[in-house]
Parts: sequence; structure tokens; C-alpha cells
Amino acid sequence: MKRTQKNLKRPLLALLAVLLLSVPLIFSGFPYAILICCFILLYVIAVSGLDIVFGYCGQISMGHAAFFAIGAYGSCLLHDYCGIPIMLTMVIAAVLAASVGAVIAYPASKLVFHFLSLATLSFGEIVYQIISHSPGGITNNFVGYYTESINFFGLTLDTYPRFYYYALGCAVLFLTAKQMLVNSQVGRAFIAIRENHHAADGMGVNVRKYKVIAFAVSAFYTAFAGAMYAHLVRYISPDTFMQKQSVMFLTMLLFGGTASLAGPICGVTVVMLLNELLRSAERYQMFIYGILLLAVIVLIPGGIYGTVEKAIKNVFRRKKEATKDAAG
Amino acid sequence: MFWQLLISGLVIGSVYGLIALGYSLIYKASGLLTFAQGDLLTLGAFLGVTFFTVLKLPFVVSLVLAVGFGFAVGMLIEKFIIRRLLNKKVLIIYVVLSTIALSYIIQNGTMLAFGTKTKYFPAIFSISRIKLGSIYVQMESVVCILVSLACMLILHLFMSKTKLGTAMRAASMDRVAAEARGINVSLTTGLTWGLAAGFAALGGMLIGPVYGVYTTLGATIGKKASASAVSGGYGNMYGAIVGGLLLGIIETLVAGFLSSEYKDMISYIILLLFLFLRPTGIFNERALQD
Repeated sequence: MKRTQKNLKRPLLALLAVLLLSVPLIFSGFPYAILICCFILLYVIAVSGLDIVFGYCGQISMGHAAFFAIGAYGSCLLHDYCGIPIMLTMVIAAVLAASVGAVIAYPASKLVFHFLSLATLSFGEIVYQIISHSPGGITNNFVGYYTESINFFGLTLDTYPRFYYYALGCAVLFLTAKQMLVNSQVGRAFIAIRENHHAADGMGVNVRKYKVIAFAVSAFYTAFAGAMYAHLVRYISPDTFMQKQSVMFLTMLLFGGTASLAGPICGVTVVMLLNELLRSAERYQMFIYGILLLAVIVLIPGGIYGTVEKAIKNVFRRKKEATKDAAG
Repeated sequence: MFWQLLISGLVIGSVYGLIALGYSLIYKASGLLTFAQGDLLTLGAFLGVTFFTVLKLPFVVSLVLAVGFGFAVGMLIEKFIIRRLLNKKVLIIYVVLSTIALSYIIQNGTMLAFGTKTKYFPAIFSISRIKLGSIYVQMESVVCILVSLACMLILHLFMSKTKLGTAMRAASMDRVAAEARGINVSLTTGLTWGLAAGFAALGGMLIGPVYGVYTTLGATIGKKASASAVSGGYGNMYGAIVGGLLLGIIETLVAGFLSSEYKDMISYIILLLFLFLRPTGIFNERALQD
């Protein structure tokens, strides 16, 4: 059984790679679809970041839109005011967000679930207030801020297919890094904290240190995605970074399923497609969205990927039992 | 100037107190956070304004009807959503997220049902304002402060003097022991959610005549009220009221004397400061840390 699964894996992966690489060709006459794919890729990075802190380390964050905002505004402002190339400002902004995340996580690490969610929520609100009432108006407040495309070693990523390949590369890079992180000693410490932080403490895991690390790494991911968003759309305004966005990240994660590689990918794709479908009924969009969210929570609390995975496992187990019975 | 600001601080503060009271009641009874309180306030305000202006009911009757409706909605939410999720033993985050979904539904539902225009209560009282010392105060503000304080007093008497109130406190202290003593815990939990929603609707009815009624009225108030619940001591009824009044006064005074630019930030900063420095709040409610 295992061998057949493994044999299947490689061709499937190759097929997936070919499919992903040929997206711009498939949708060549339909740039809007490529734009959606770009959004999906950058949200996958953001939500994977949230997955590190929530799925693996078990710490809730209701304020990830703040990191998204720090990445987006940080990159734009650094580029315009200091003249640093965008490729660099994206990383600098993400590092900045990671340090902000660490600073917030240090005192917040002693809070239990409910109060951590309140603390992160108010952090998100504070960042929103700062970017919408910025000192000296450097973020243009509610008017919004215009910025430029990424210059990738001389190649300007100003078309959707170009950006798509860049985003695909980034997503592969970030997801590989995430897999390496969660399979390392640090990742095991995260999971130990999630399962039982008293026991983790007893086993010599420095709980506070790892919570701070989880928040910082998570902030780095989300902020980088925010910078990608800014330079893809080339316009940012405070509306994008409201609490709604934080809830959207959480929804994407929980729709897909936590603590897995594929969960965030599934969740982001499903929620993005849903949003696009609902776009035609703009007046009812948030209303329907709320009902769908509630329905998913009440009906399939394991998330889509989690539920499908469970179902497949059940089918396999039944088959196994059937063969066993036949043999016996 | 100072007294004028103090009065408007007390007005919004008493509404924060009502919402925070709901947070504390729910936290005590179910150990949960809810994000739907603020939008229940909006719903209450819209229902009240409809009863009052369209159906031409007297103000007191519309208030009672709106609060009663809020109470029913709260109980239904507990019975059909929260209880079902808890029975499935899902992670707490899903319950919290379900209240966020509810808040979206209520907020956008009111927008669809009542429109996006701000609705105003017509003059409710024959005297529009009264003189207090050297300043004139809007009658609506006086009613808002007095009614919310009266309701808090009634809640205090209900919780401490009646059999049902005692049963509710017992159930929130120890579920199993309360059940063993013959208390219907599922009823008291439902009642608590109903009470919290009723208080939210009451807050909407009281703040509506002062601020006007619009769909995002409750969303901000609801989020800020969590700061008052935390600063008073999350889960403490009296802490919620004191925290609410304090927050309202501080916010209004800072906006009036320092800068109105960062008015909306103050409550969140207070919330963070309390969480990081004194998570047990003013009333030293039992430790909320790991």
C-alpha cells in the first residue's frame, strides 16, 4: 500500500509543478484570473505564517493584518523616503515586522488564549489607527498610497504573469522554509507548547522564548506577503488592513485546516474563489460570507483539508480491513 | 467645558459598562469570549428606532420590546450555535470565530434590512435639556446614564437576592456541583447569554438617541468595551461597570483636552497596558495568566 502511494507521489508532484508553471499560459487571454492566482500565492504565504503561530504553536492572533500592514507600508515608505530598491525594502520591512512581533509577543506570551486574542486584536487596531492617522501624514492616511512595481534584477514585474512567477518562487521558498522549521527542533518545541505548555516547560522547553520566535517568524511571513500585495496592486489604503483582514486570514486557515502544508493552500484557494463568486452580489457579500463561515464552523469544524484527509484515511482503513478479512 | 465633557464621558461610559457587563457575564457562565455584543447593540438600536418612529409606540414600550427581542436573540444564539459547538467539543477558537461570523451576519443583516442611512430618534421628551449647575445637559444623556445605572443596580439585586440569580452564580462557579444540587445549568447559561444580549440591546436604545443609529455603531463600541471589561477585571460584574465609566471619561477627556486624532486608540492602549501589566484588573479578578 505504502509503496503504491509513494510511487504515485512523484508523478503527481511533477504534474502539479507543470500545472502551476503553465497557469499564465492557460489563462493567457484572461489576465484577471492570473491576478487572482497572484493573490492566492501571496495569501498562501501570509496564512502559512499565521499557521506557524496558531496551527503549530497554538497561539491565537487576531491582529495579523497589522503585520500585513507593516510589511506593505514599510516597504513602500522605505523605498520612497530612503531610496532603497524594492527587493531589499520588502525584506527589511518583513524584518521590521518580525521585531515588532517579538516585542509584542514578549509580554503577551504569559496571556491565555482569550486574552491573547484581545491583546492581538487591540494591537491590530492600534496599527490601523497609526496608518490611518499617521504622524505628518506620511502614509497619506485615508487617501491611500501609490507605489511602484518590483524591479527584479533589472526586470520590472509590472505584468501579472511576471509577478505570478515571482510569487510562485517566493511561495515555494517560504513553504519549504516552513516545512524545514516545523520539522526541526524549534518546530517540535512549538508543538510541545501547543499540546501542553506546562509539560513543555517541565521538559526544558523555554516556553516564552519559543512563543516569541513563533510570533516573529509568523510576522515575517505575513509582512512579506503584505509587501508583495503592495507592489502587486501598487496602491494601498488603510481599508485593506482592518480587523476584517485578520479575520479573513484566520478564516482561510481554519477553512483549510491547521498545522499542515496543504491546509493553508486549500483554505486560501477556496476562500478566494468564494470571494470572487460573491463579488457579483456585492451588497450581500459580507452577509453571505458570514452565513457561510458560520455554516462551515457548525458543520465541518475540522476544515476542508482536514475533513477530506480524514475521509480518505477512513476509506483506506476500510479497504485495509476488507483485505485483512479476506486474507483471514 | 470639563463638566460638559464629563457628562458625555459618562454617557458613552455607561454604554461601555453595559456591553462589558455582557462580556463578564458570558465569560463567567461559559468561559467564552463573544464578539457579537457590539452588533447586538446595533440591532437593538435599529429595532428601537423602528418601533418608535414607524410603529409610533411610546419610547418605554419600544425600549422594552427591543430589549426583549435582544434577550430572545441571545438565548437562541446560545441554544442553537454555542451549545451545539460546545457539545461537539471543538476548539474554543471555532466558538469565538462563530461569534465573529454572527457579528458579520447581524451587522450586514441590519444594513440590508434598514439601509445604510443614519437614522435619528425624533425628540423623545417634552423638555429637550435640563440645567445642571452651570451647564445644560441633553435629556437623552441624563436618561442614558440613569437608566443604565438603574439596570446595573437591578442586575446586582437579581444576582444576589433572588433564587434564580444565585443559581446562575453557582452554575458559573462550578458547573458540576451546581448540577448536582439540582440547578438546570443549561437554562442558566442560556439566560446569561440572553441577559448579555438584552443589555447590549438596551445600550443601543440608550445611545441611539444621542449618537444616531447606523450599522457600524455597535462594532466600535463593542471592541472598545472589551477594554473596559479587562481594565475592571474580566468576569467581574462591578469591574465591568467601573471600567466602562472610567474608560468613557478618560477617552472623552483626552479627546477634549489633548487631541481627538488618537481618540480611538486610547481604549486599545489601555487594554494592552492592563493585559501586560495588571491582567487581573482594578478589581483583582482571579488571575487570567498561564
